[in-house]
Amino acid sequence: MQPLLEVEGLVTGYGGTEVVRGVSFALAADERLGLFGPNGHGKTTLLMALSGLLPVWRGAIRFDGIDITVKTAEAIIELGLVQVPQGNQLFPELSVAETLWLGSYPKRARAAEKRNLEQVFALFPRLKERRQQSVKTLSGGERQMVAIGVGLMSQPRLLLLDEPTLGLAPKIKDELCSAIAEISQQGIPLLAVEQDVEFILALTDRLLLLDHGELAHELTAENRLEQSEIIQLYFGQGALP
Amino acid sequence: MTLEALFYILVSAAVLGSLYAIMAIGLALVWTTLGIFNFAHGAFIGLGAYLAWSLADPSQLGLGLLAGIALALPILVLVGIASERVAVRPFLGRDNLVLVTVITTLAVASIIENAILLTWGSRAKQLEPLVEGTVSAWGIGVSAHEVAVILIVPFILAAVWAFLQKTRTGTALRAVAQNQNAARLMSIPVTRIFALSFALATVLAGLAGIFLGAVKFMSPSMGADPLVKALIVVIFGGIGSLSGPIRAAYIVGLMEAVLTFSVGIYWTQASLFLVMIAVLMVRPTGLFGKRG
Repeated sequence: MQPLLEVEGLVTGYGGTEVVRGVSFALAADERLGLFGPNGHGKTTLLMALSGLLPVWRGAIRFDGIDITVKTAEAIIELGLVQVPQGNQLFPELSVAETLWLGSYPKRARAAEKRNLEQVFALFPRLKERRQQSVKTLSGGERQMVAIGVGLMSQPRLLLLDEPTLGLAPKIKDELCSAIAEISQQGIPLLAVEQDVEFILALTDRLLLLDHGELAHELTAENRLEQSEIIQLYFGQGALP
Repeated sequence: MTLEALFYILVSAAVLGSLYAIMAIGLALVWTTLGIFNFAHGAFIGLGAYLAWSLADPSQLGLGLLAGIALALPILVLVGIASERVAVRPFLGRDNLVLVTVITTLAVASIIENAILLTWGSRAKQLEPLVEGTVSAWGIGVSAHEVAVILIVPFILAAVWAFLQKTRTGTALRAVAQNQNAARLMSIPVTRIFALSFALATVLAGLAGIFLGAVKFMSPSMGADPLVKALIVVIFGGIGSLSGPIRAAYIVGLMEAVLTFSVGIYWTQASLFLVMIAVLMVRPTGLFGKRG
Protein backbone atom coordinates (compact mmCIF):
# COMPACT_ATOMS: atom_id res chain seq x y z
CA MET A 1 0.00 0.00 0.00
CA GLN A 2 1.22 3.48 -0.81
CA PRO A 3 2.01 5.46 2.32
CA LEU A 4 -0.14 8.50 3.08
CA LEU A 5 2.79 10.68 4.02
CA GLU A 6 6.33 10.24 2.77
CA VAL A 7 9.22 12.38 3.95
CA GLU A 8 12.54 11.97 2.18
CA GLY A 9 15.78 13.48 3.41
CA LEU A 10 14.05 16.60 4.71
CA VAL A 11 16.38 19.47 5.59
CA THR A 12 15.13 22.81 6.89
CA GLY A 13 15.76 25.45 9.53
CA TYR A 14 15.67 29.15 10.32
CA GLY A 15 17.88 31.75 8.71
CA GLY A 16 21.22 30.03 8.23
CA THR A 17 20.74 27.48 10.99
CA GLU A 18 19.96 23.93 9.97
CA VAL A 19 17.51 22.45 12.48
CA VAL A 20 16.11 19.38 10.74
CA ARG A 21 18.98 17.43 9.13
CA GLY A 22 17.85 14.89 6.62
CA VAL A 23 14.82 13.20 8.17
CA SER A 24 13.09 10.38 6.26
CA PHE A 25 10.02 8.42 7.28
CA ALA A 26 6.70 7.20 5.95
CA LEU A 27 3.28 7.02 7.50
CA ALA A 28 0.59 4.54 6.45
CA ALA A 29 -3.02 5.56 6.04
CA ASP A 30 -4.08 3.66 9.13
CA GLU A 31 -1.17 4.56 11.35
CA ARG A 32 -0.61 6.54 14.49
CA LEU A 33 2.92 7.81 14.49
CA GLY A 34 4.67 9.59 17.34
CA LEU A 35 7.59 11.96 17.15
CA PHE A 36 9.51 12.23 20.35
CA GLY A 37 12.54 14.21 21.40
CA PRO A 38 13.71 16.91 23.75
CA ASN A 39 13.02 20.59 23.20
CA GLY A 40 15.01 22.27 20.47
CA HIS A 41 15.68 19.09 18.52
CA GLY A 42 13.52 20.05 15.55
CA LYS A 43 10.12 18.45 16.18
CA THR A 44 8.02 21.59 15.78
CA THR A 45 10.28 22.76 12.94
CA LEU A 46 9.62 19.50 11.11
CA LEU A 47 5.87 19.98 11.50
CA MET A 48 6.09 23.58 10.25
CA ALA A 49 7.85 22.35 7.11
CA LEU A 50 5.22 19.64 6.57
CA SER A 51 2.47 22.28 6.76
CA GLY A 52 4.23 24.64 4.37
CA LEU A 53 4.92 27.31 6.98
CA LEU A 54 8.67 26.89 6.58
CA PRO A 55 10.44 26.41 3.25
CA VAL A 56 12.05 23.02 2.66
CA TRP A 57 15.78 23.39 1.95
CA ARG A 58 16.40 19.91 0.62
CA GLY A 59 14.47 16.68 0.35
CA ALA A 60 10.87 15.99 -0.56
CA ILE A 61 7.45 15.59 1.08
CA ARG A 62 4.65 13.64 -0.58
CA PHE A 63 1.11 13.46 0.69
CA ASP A 64 -1.11 10.79 -0.84
CA GLY A 65 1.32 10.53 -3.72
CA ILE A 66 1.24 14.28 -4.43
CA ASP A 67 4.48 16.26 -4.09
CA ILE A 68 3.79 19.00 -1.55
CA THR A 69 7.40 20.04 -0.97
CA VAL A 70 6.87 23.53 -2.39
CA LYS A 71 3.11 23.89 -2.01
CA THR A 72 1.61 26.72 0.08
CA ALA A 73 0.09 26.14 3.50
CA GLU A 74 -3.33 26.78 1.97
CA ALA A 75 -2.91 24.14 -0.74
CA ILE A 76 -1.55 21.58 1.73
CA ILE A 77 -4.56 21.99 4.02
CA GLU A 78 -6.91 21.74 1.03
CA LEU A 79 -5.38 18.31 0.41
CA GLY A 80 -6.31 17.28 3.94
CA LEU A 81 -2.98 17.51 5.74
CA VAL A 82 -4.11 19.47 8.77
CA GLN A 83 -1.98 20.64 11.67
CA VAL A 84 -3.47 21.40 15.08
CA PRO A 85 -1.71 24.43 16.50
CA GLN A 86 -0.78 24.54 20.17
CA GLY A 87 -3.75 25.68 22.25
CA ASN A 88 -2.06 28.85 23.39
CA GLN A 89 -1.36 29.71 19.75
CA LEU A 90 -4.95 30.52 18.84
CA PHE A 91 -6.80 33.82 18.61
CA PRO A 92 -7.34 35.16 22.14
CA GLU A 93 -10.04 37.67 21.20
CA LEU A 94 -12.18 35.34 19.08
CA SER A 95 -14.94 33.24 20.62
CA VAL A 96 -14.87 29.45 20.64
CA ALA A 97 -17.62 29.34 18.00
CA GLU A 98 -15.80 31.81 15.74
CA THR A 99 -12.54 29.90 16.02
CA LEU A 100 -14.23 26.61 15.15
CA TRP A 101 -16.01 28.37 12.27
CA LEU A 102 -12.62 29.36 10.87
CA GLY A 103 -11.62 25.70 11.05
CA SER A 104 -13.93 25.05 8.12
CA TYR A 105 -12.23 27.74 6.03
CA PRO A 106 -10.77 25.15 3.60
CA LYS A 107 -13.17 24.68 0.68
CA ARG A 108 -13.22 20.92 1.02
CA ALA A 109 -14.41 21.25 4.63
CA ARG A 110 -17.37 23.54 3.92
CA ALA A 111 -19.88 20.85 2.93
CA ALA A 112 -19.37 18.84 6.11
CA GLU A 113 -19.24 21.89 8.38
CA LYS A 114 -22.39 21.12 10.34
CA ARG A 115 -21.57 17.45 10.87
CA ASN A 116 -18.02 18.26 11.92
CA LEU A 117 -19.23 20.83 14.44
CA GLU A 118 -21.61 18.29 15.98
CA GLN A 119 -18.74 15.84 16.16
CA VAL A 120 -16.50 18.36 17.92
CA PHE A 121 -19.21 19.23 20.44
CA ALA A 122 -19.87 15.52 21.04
CA LEU A 123 -16.17 14.97 21.68
CA PHE A 124 -15.78 18.07 23.87
CA PRO A 125 -19.16 18.93 25.44
CA ARG A 126 -17.45 21.66 27.42
CA LEU A 127 -16.80 23.63 24.23
CA LYS A 128 -20.50 23.64 23.46
CA GLU A 129 -21.21 25.23 26.84
CA ARG A 130 -18.50 27.82 26.29
CA ARG A 131 -18.97 28.50 22.60
CA GLN A 132 -19.75 32.19 23.14
CA GLN A 133 -16.75 32.76 25.42
CA SER A 134 -13.58 34.26 24.03
CA VAL A 135 -10.66 31.86 23.85
CA LYS A 136 -8.57 33.94 26.25
CA THR A 137 -11.01 33.18 29.08
CA LEU A 138 -10.57 29.40 28.70
CA SER A 139 -8.24 27.15 30.67
CA GLY A 140 -5.18 25.65 28.99
CA GLY A 141 -6.92 22.31 28.52
CA GLU A 142 -9.99 23.91 27.02
CA ARG A 143 -7.84 25.90 24.60
CA GLN A 144 -6.23 22.67 23.49
CA MET A 145 -9.70 21.23 22.95
CA VAL A 146 -10.53 24.21 20.74
CA ALA A 147 -7.32 23.67 18.79
CA ILE A 148 -8.11 20.01 18.19
CA GLY A 149 -11.69 20.98 17.34
CA VAL A 150 -10.41 23.44 14.74
CA GLY A 151 -8.35 20.64 13.21
CA LEU A 152 -11.40 18.39 12.99
CA MET A 153 -13.45 21.17 11.42
CA SER A 154 -10.90 21.23 8.57
CA GLN A 155 -11.96 17.70 7.55
CA PRO A 156 -8.49 16.18 7.99
CA ARG A 157 -7.15 13.13 6.19
CA LEU A 158 -4.09 13.26 8.43
CA LEU A 159 -3.92 15.17 11.70
CA LEU A 160 -0.62 16.64 12.89
CA LEU A 161 -0.61 17.35 16.61
CA ASP A 162 2.02 19.66 18.06
CA GLU A 163 2.52 18.91 21.77
CA PRO A 164 -1.15 18.66 22.68
CA THR A 165 -0.43 18.29 26.39
CA LEU A 166 2.16 21.02 26.84
CA GLY A 167 1.81 22.47 30.32
CA LEU A 168 -1.41 20.67 31.20
CA ALA A 169 -2.43 18.94 34.43
CA PRO A 170 -2.50 15.09 34.47
CA LYS A 171 -6.29 14.85 34.69
CA ILE A 172 -6.85 16.99 31.62
CA LYS A 173 -4.07 15.08 29.83
CA ASP A 174 -5.99 11.85 30.27
CA GLU A 175 -9.13 13.50 28.97
CA LEU A 176 -7.34 14.75 25.86
CA CYS A 177 -5.62 11.41 25.36
CA SER A 178 -8.92 9.55 25.23
CA ALA A 179 -10.43 12.19 22.94
CA ILE A 180 -7.51 11.91 20.53
CA ALA A 181 -7.72 8.11 20.68
CA GLU A 182 -11.39 8.39 19.77
CA ILE A 183 -10.54 10.59 16.80
CA SER A 184 -8.03 8.07 15.49
CA GLN A 185 -10.53 5.24 16.01
CA GLN A 186 -12.80 7.09 13.62
CA GLY A 187 -10.18 6.45 10.98
CA ILE A 188 -8.13 9.64 11.03
CA PRO A 189 -4.39 8.84 11.11
CA LEU A 190 -2.17 10.86 13.44
CA LEU A 191 1.30 12.27 13.55
CA ALA A 192 1.81 13.51 17.09
CA VAL A 193 4.74 15.40 18.52
CA GLU A 194 5.09 15.05 22.27
CA GLN A 195 7.50 15.28 25.13
CA ASP A 196 5.29 13.33 27.50
CA VAL A 197 6.47 9.72 27.05
CA GLU A 198 3.50 8.04 28.66
CA PHE A 199 1.07 10.09 26.66
CA ILE A 200 2.68 9.34 23.34
CA LEU A 201 3.19 5.64 24.06
CA ALA A 202 -0.49 5.29 24.87
CA LEU A 203 -1.52 7.12 21.74
CA THR A 204 0.71 5.85 18.94
CA ASP A 205 1.69 2.57 17.29
CA ARG A 206 5.17 3.62 16.35
CA LEU A 207 7.55 6.16 17.79
CA LEU A 208 10.37 8.04 16.10
CA LEU A 209 13.07 9.54 18.27
CA LEU A 210 14.47 12.81 17.02
CA ASP A 211 17.96 13.74 18.21
CA HIS A 212 19.64 16.93 17.08
CA GLY A 213 17.50 17.10 13.96
CA GLU A 214 18.07 13.49 12.91
CA LEU A 215 16.07 10.33 13.42
CA ALA A 216 17.97 8.44 16.08
CA HIS A 217 15.74 5.47 16.67
CA GLU A 218 12.47 3.88 15.77
CA LEU A 219 10.31 2.08 18.29
CA THR A 220 7.55 -0.25 17.20
CA ALA A 221 5.14 -2.46 19.15
CA GLU A 222 7.62 -5.36 18.85
CA ASN A 223 10.38 -3.68 20.77
CA ARG A 224 8.22 -1.97 23.36
CA LEU A 225 10.12 -3.64 26.19
CA GLU A 226 13.26 -1.79 25.31
CA GLN A 227 11.45 1.50 25.10
CA SER A 228 12.10 2.91 28.51
CA GLU A 229 15.72 1.84 28.28
CA ILE A 230 16.19 3.54 24.95
CA ILE A 231 14.46 6.70 25.99
CA GLN A 232 16.63 6.87 29.05
CA LEU A 233 19.68 6.21 26.97
CA TYR A 234 18.93 9.08 24.66
CA PHE A 235 17.38 11.59 26.93
CA GLY A 236 18.70 10.77 30.38
CA GLN A 237 17.17 9.46 33.56
CA GLY A 238 14.87 12.43 33.97
CA ALA A 239 12.99 11.71 30.77
CA LEU A 240 10.77 9.09 32.34
CA PRO A 241 8.25 9.84 35.04
CA MET B 1 -24.41 79.42 27.46
CA THR B 2 -27.60 79.62 25.53
CA LEU B 3 -29.52 76.60 24.34
CA GLU B 4 -28.71 77.66 20.79
CA ALA B 5 -24.98 77.59 21.48
CA LEU B 6 -25.25 74.16 23.08
CA PHE B 7 -27.10 72.90 20.03
CA TYR B 8 -24.40 74.21 17.71
CA ILE B 9 -21.67 72.64 19.83
CA LEU B 10 -23.41 69.27 19.74
CA VAL B 11 -23.96 69.38 15.98
CA SER B 12 -20.38 70.46 15.41
CA ALA B 13 -19.18 67.67 17.75
CA ALA B 14 -21.23 65.10 15.84
CA VAL B 15 -19.92 66.29 12.45
CA LEU B 16 -16.30 66.29 13.59
CA GLY B 17 -16.72 62.97 15.39
CA SER B 18 -18.24 61.34 12.30
CA LEU B 19 -15.46 62.61 10.05
CA TYR B 20 -12.74 61.58 12.49
CA ALA B 21 -14.30 58.15 12.95
CA ILE B 22 -14.36 57.41 9.24
CA MET B 23 -10.85 58.80 8.80
CA ALA B 24 -9.47 56.74 11.67
CA ILE B 25 -11.20 53.40 11.16
CA GLY B 26 -9.26 52.49 8.02
CA LEU B 27 -5.98 53.44 9.64
CA ALA B 28 -6.87 51.31 12.68
CA LEU B 29 -7.89 48.42 10.43
CA VAL B 30 -4.51 48.34 8.69
CA TRP B 31 -2.70 48.76 11.98
CA THR B 32 -4.51 45.85 13.63
CA THR B 33 -4.18 43.44 10.68
CA LEU B 34 -0.76 44.27 9.25
CA GLY B 35 0.81 45.91 12.28
CA ILE B 36 1.93 48.96 10.31
CA PHE B 37 0.96 52.60 10.19
CA ASN B 38 -0.12 53.51 6.69
CA PHE B 39 1.09 57.03 5.99
CA ALA B 40 -0.57 56.95 2.57
CA HIS B 41 -3.94 57.07 4.31
CA GLY B 42 -4.15 60.85 3.99
CA ALA B 43 -3.35 60.69 0.28
CA PHE B 44 -6.15 58.13 -0.17
CA ILE B 45 -8.50 60.64 1.48
CA GLY B 46 -7.50 63.26 -1.10
CA LEU B 47 -7.65 60.80 -3.98
CA GLY B 48 -11.20 59.77 -3.06
CA ALA B 49 -12.37 63.39 -3.15
CA TYR B 50 -10.66 64.13 -6.51
CA LEU B 51 -11.88 60.93 -8.17
CA ALA B 52 -15.46 61.62 -7.10
CA TRP B 53 -15.15 65.25 -8.23
CA SER B 54 -13.80 64.23 -11.62
CA LEU B 55 -16.62 61.77 -12.18
CA ALA B 56 -19.42 63.83 -10.69
CA ASP B 57 -18.79 67.50 -11.35
CA PRO B 58 -20.79 69.06 -14.22
CA SER B 59 -17.58 70.67 -15.54
CA GLN B 60 -15.97 67.21 -15.79
CA LEU B 61 -17.70 63.90 -16.59
CA GLY B 62 -20.87 65.17 -14.98
CA LEU B 63 -22.25 61.80 -13.91
CA GLY B 64 -23.76 63.20 -10.75
CA LEU B 65 -22.54 62.74 -7.20
CA LEU B 66 -23.99 59.30 -6.46
CA ALA B 67 -22.62 57.76 -9.67
CA GLY B 68 -19.33 59.56 -9.02
CA ILE B 69 -19.04 58.01 -5.57
CA ALA B 70 -20.13 54.60 -6.84
CA LEU B 71 -17.46 54.62 -9.56
CA ALA B 72 -14.74 56.12 -7.37
CA LEU B 73 -14.97 53.28 -4.84
CA PRO B 74 -13.85 50.41 -7.14
CA ILE B 75 -10.96 52.58 -8.37
CA LEU B 76 -9.98 53.13 -4.74
CA VAL B 77 -10.10 49.36 -4.16
CA LEU B 78 -7.61 48.89 -7.00
CA VAL B 79 -5.37 51.66 -5.70
CA GLY B 80 -5.43 50.09 -2.24
CA ILE B 81 -4.54 46.64 -3.55
CA ALA B 82 -1.76 48.05 -5.72
CA SER B 83 -0.34 50.09 -2.84
CA GLU B 84 -0.22 47.06 -0.57
CA ARG B 85 1.43 45.08 -3.34
CA VAL B 86 4.30 47.53 -3.86
CA ALA B 87 4.67 49.18 -0.45
CA VAL B 88 4.01 46.37 2.01
CA ARG B 89 4.09 42.86 0.55
CA PRO B 90 7.74 42.83 -0.57
CA PHE B 91 8.78 43.56 3.01
CA LEU B 92 6.51 41.15 4.89
CA GLY B 93 8.37 38.92 7.30
CA ARG B 94 11.20 41.39 7.80
CA ASP B 95 12.10 42.33 11.32
CA ASN B 96 12.08 46.03 10.44
CA LEU B 97 8.71 45.91 8.63
CA VAL B 98 7.25 48.78 10.68
CA LEU B 99 10.12 51.15 9.89
CA VAL B 100 10.42 50.14 6.24
CA THR B 101 6.72 50.67 5.66
CA VAL B 102 6.91 54.14 7.21
CA ILE B 103 9.18 55.00 4.29
CA THR B 104 7.33 53.06 1.60
CA THR B 105 3.85 54.30 2.56
CA LEU B 106 5.19 57.86 2.75
CA ALA B 107 6.51 57.29 -0.77
CA VAL B 108 3.07 56.11 -1.92
CA ALA B 109 1.56 59.22 -0.29
CA SER B 110 4.00 61.46 -2.12
CA ILE B 111 3.39 59.73 -5.47
CA ILE B 112 -0.40 59.99 -5.12
CA GLU B 113 -0.33 63.63 -3.98
CA ASN B 114 1.86 64.63 -6.90
CA ALA B 115 -0.22 62.59 -9.31
CA ILE B 116 -3.25 64.54 -8.08
CA LEU B 117 -1.35 67.78 -8.58
CA LEU B 118 -0.33 66.81 -12.14
CA THR B 119 -3.77 65.53 -13.07
CA TRP B 120 -6.06 68.07 -11.49
CA GLY B 121 -3.82 71.09 -10.83
CA SER B 122 -3.45 73.12 -7.69
CA ARG B 123 -6.58 75.28 -8.01
CA ALA B 124 -8.95 74.64 -5.13
CA LYS B 125 -12.07 72.66 -5.96
CA GLN B 126 -15.17 71.68 -4.08
CA LEU B 127 -17.44 68.67 -4.29
CA GLU B 128 -21.15 69.24 -4.29
CA PRO B 129 -22.78 68.38 -0.95
CA LEU B 130 -24.51 65.05 -0.46
CA VAL B 131 -27.71 66.99 0.19
CA GLU B 132 -28.22 70.62 -0.82
CA GLY B 133 -29.51 73.32 1.48
CA THR B 134 -29.97 73.57 5.20
CA VAL B 135 -32.04 71.75 7.72
CA SER B 136 -33.68 73.92 10.34
CA ALA B 137 -34.97 72.81 13.67
CA TRP B 138 -36.22 75.09 16.43
CA GLY B 139 -35.26 78.05 14.30
CA ILE B 140 -31.61 76.97 13.99
CA GLY B 141 -30.16 76.13 10.59
CA VAL B 142 -27.62 73.37 9.99
CA SER B 143 -26.18 72.40 6.61
CA ALA B 144 -28.01 69.40 5.21
CA HIS B 145 -24.70 67.87 4.08
CA GLU B 146 -23.46 67.81 7.66
CA VAL B 147 -26.67 66.22 8.87
CA ALA B 148 -26.30 63.62 6.12
CA VAL B 149 -22.72 62.86 7.19
CA ILE B 150 -23.81 62.49 10.83
CA LEU B 151 -26.49 60.02 9.76
CA ILE B 152 -24.54 58.06 7.13
CA VAL B 153 -21.28 57.47 9.00
CA PRO B 154 -22.83 55.24 11.70
CA PHE B 155 -24.25 53.04 8.92
CA ILE B 156 -20.82 52.73 7.30
CA LEU B 157 -19.24 51.90 10.66
CA ALA B 158 -22.01 49.36 11.33
CA ALA B 159 -21.40 47.79 7.91
CA VAL B 160 -17.68 47.44 8.66
CA TRP B 161 -18.54 45.99 12.06
CA ALA B 162 -21.00 43.51 10.54
CA PHE B 163 -18.42 42.46 7.94
CA LEU B 164 -15.79 41.86 10.62
CA GLN B 165 -18.13 40.08 13.05
CA LYS B 166 -20.63 38.23 10.92
CA THR B 167 -18.79 37.02 7.82
CA ARG B 168 -16.22 34.24 7.67
CA THR B 169 -13.83 36.48 5.74
CA GLY B 170 -14.21 39.27 8.30
CA THR B 171 -13.62 36.82 11.14
CA ALA B 172 -10.57 35.53 9.27
CA LEU B 173 -9.32 39.13 9.06
CA ARG B 174 -9.59 39.48 12.83
CA ALA B 175 -7.87 36.11 13.24
CA VAL B 176 -4.96 37.19 11.02
CA ALA B 177 -4.64 40.30 13.17
CA GLN B 178 -4.17 38.13 16.26
CA ASN B 179 -2.00 35.27 15.04
CA GLN B 180 -0.77 34.91 11.47
CA ASN B 181 0.74 31.45 11.79
CA ALA B 182 -2.34 29.92 13.38
CA ALA B 183 -4.40 31.57 10.62
CA ARG B 184 -2.16 29.94 8.00
CA LEU B 185 -2.76 26.55 9.65
CA MET B 186 -6.45 27.05 8.91
CA SER B 187 -5.73 27.75 5.24
CA ILE B 188 -6.65 31.42 5.65
CA PRO B 189 -4.91 33.25 2.77
CA VAL B 190 -2.99 35.73 4.92
CA THR B 191 -1.52 37.84 2.11
CA ARG B 192 -4.90 38.17 0.40
CA ILE B 193 -6.40 39.19 3.74
CA PHE B 194 -3.73 41.92 3.95
CA ALA B 195 -4.70 43.17 0.49
CA LEU B 196 -8.37 43.10 1.50
CA SER B 197 -7.65 45.06 4.65
CA PHE B 198 -5.73 47.67 2.64
CA ALA B 199 -8.46 47.90 0.01
CA LEU B 200 -11.15 48.34 2.64
CA ALA B 201 -9.10 51.02 4.41
CA THR B 202 -8.59 52.85 1.12
CA VAL B 203 -12.32 52.87 0.41
CA LEU B 204 -13.04 54.20 3.91
CA ALA B 205 -10.39 56.89 3.46
CA GLY B 206 -11.88 57.81 0.09
CA LEU B 207 -15.34 58.14 1.62
CA ALA B 208 -13.90 60.42 4.29
CA GLY B 209 -12.41 62.54 1.49
CA ILE B 210 -15.73 62.69 -0.32
CA PHE B 211 -17.54 63.86 2.82
CA LEU B 212 -14.75 66.34 3.50
CA GLY B 213 -14.59 67.65 -0.08
CA ALA B 214 -17.95 69.34 0.24
CA VAL B 215 -17.13 70.95 3.59
CA LYS B 216 -13.67 72.26 2.79
CA PHE B 217 -11.88 73.22 -0.38
CA MET B 218 -10.00 70.34 -1.98
CA SER B 219 -6.26 70.53 -2.55
CA PRO B 220 -3.74 67.80 -3.41
CA SER B 221 -2.50 67.78 0.19
CA MET B 222 -5.98 67.95 1.71
CA GLY B 223 -5.39 64.58 3.42
CA ALA B 224 -2.43 65.74 5.48
CA ASP B 225 -4.46 67.26 8.30
CA PRO B 226 -6.96 64.39 8.45
CA LEU B 227 -4.05 61.91 8.57
CA VAL B 228 -2.66 63.63 11.65
CA LYS B 229 -6.13 63.72 13.21
CA ALA B 230 -6.68 60.05 12.41
CA LEU B 231 -3.30 59.14 13.92
CA ILE B 232 -4.18 61.05 17.07
CA VAL B 233 -7.59 59.42 17.29
CA VAL B 234 -6.12 55.93 16.83
CA ILE B 235 -3.38 56.47 19.42
CA PHE B 236 -5.79 58.22 21.79
CA GLY B 237 -8.42 55.50 21.44
CA GLY B 238 -5.99 52.67 21.99
CA ILE B 239 -3.87 50.94 19.40
CA GLY B 240 -4.96 47.47 18.47
CA SER B 241 -8.71 47.75 18.61
CA LEU B 242 -11.32 49.09 16.23
CA SER B 243 -14.01 50.20 18.66
CA GLY B 244 -11.52 52.27 20.67
CA PRO B 245 -10.69 54.67 17.83
CA ILE B 246 -14.39 55.05 16.92
CA ARG B 247 -15.30 56.06 20.46
CA ALA B 248 -12.22 58.26 20.65
CA ALA B 249 -13.21 59.96 17.38
CA TYR B 250 -16.51 61.15 18.82
CA ILE B 251 -14.87 62.16 22.10
CA VAL B 252 -12.18 64.16 20.26
CA GLY B 253 -14.94 65.71 18.11
CA LEU B 254 -16.85 66.75 21.23
CA MET B 255 -13.73 68.12 22.93
CA GLU B 256 -12.82 70.08 19.83
CA ALA B 257 -16.31 71.58 19.55
CA VAL B 258 -16.37 72.54 23.22
CA LEU B 259 -12.84 73.95 23.09
CA THR B 260 -13.55 75.96 19.95
CA PHE B 261 -16.52 77.51 21.73
CA SER B 262 -14.76 78.09 25.06
CA VAL B 263 -11.09 78.88 24.40
CA GLY B 264 -11.41 79.87 20.75
CA ILE B 265 -10.14 78.32 17.57
CA TYR B 266 -6.49 79.33 18.06
CA TRP B 267 -6.12 77.49 21.34
CA THR B 268 -8.23 74.48 20.42
CA GLN B 269 -5.49 72.36 18.88
CA ALA B 270 -3.02 73.06 21.70
CA SER B 271 -5.62 72.37 24.40
CA LEU B 272 -6.60 69.16 22.63
CA PHE B 273 -3.02 67.97 22.69
CA LEU B 274 -2.72 68.88 26.38
CA VAL B 275 -5.75 66.77 27.25
CA MET B 276 -4.39 63.92 25.17
CA ILE B 277 -0.95 64.02 26.77
CA ALA B 278 -2.61 64.03 30.18
CA VAL B 279 -4.71 60.99 29.25
CA LEU B 280 -1.75 59.11 27.82
CA MET B 281 0.25 59.81 30.98
CA VAL B 282 -2.44 58.13 33.07
CA ARG B 283 -3.31 55.46 30.47
CA PRO B 284 -0.29 54.80 28.22
CA THR B 285 -2.24 52.33 26.07
CA GLY B 286 -4.88 54.91 25.22
CA LEU B 287 -8.37 55.58 26.48
CA PHE B 288 -9.80 52.19 25.55
CA GLY B 289 -6.59 50.27 25.00
CA LYS B 290 -5.79 47.17 26.94
CA ARG B 291 -3.16 47.40 29.57
CA GLY B 292 -0.43 45.04 28.69
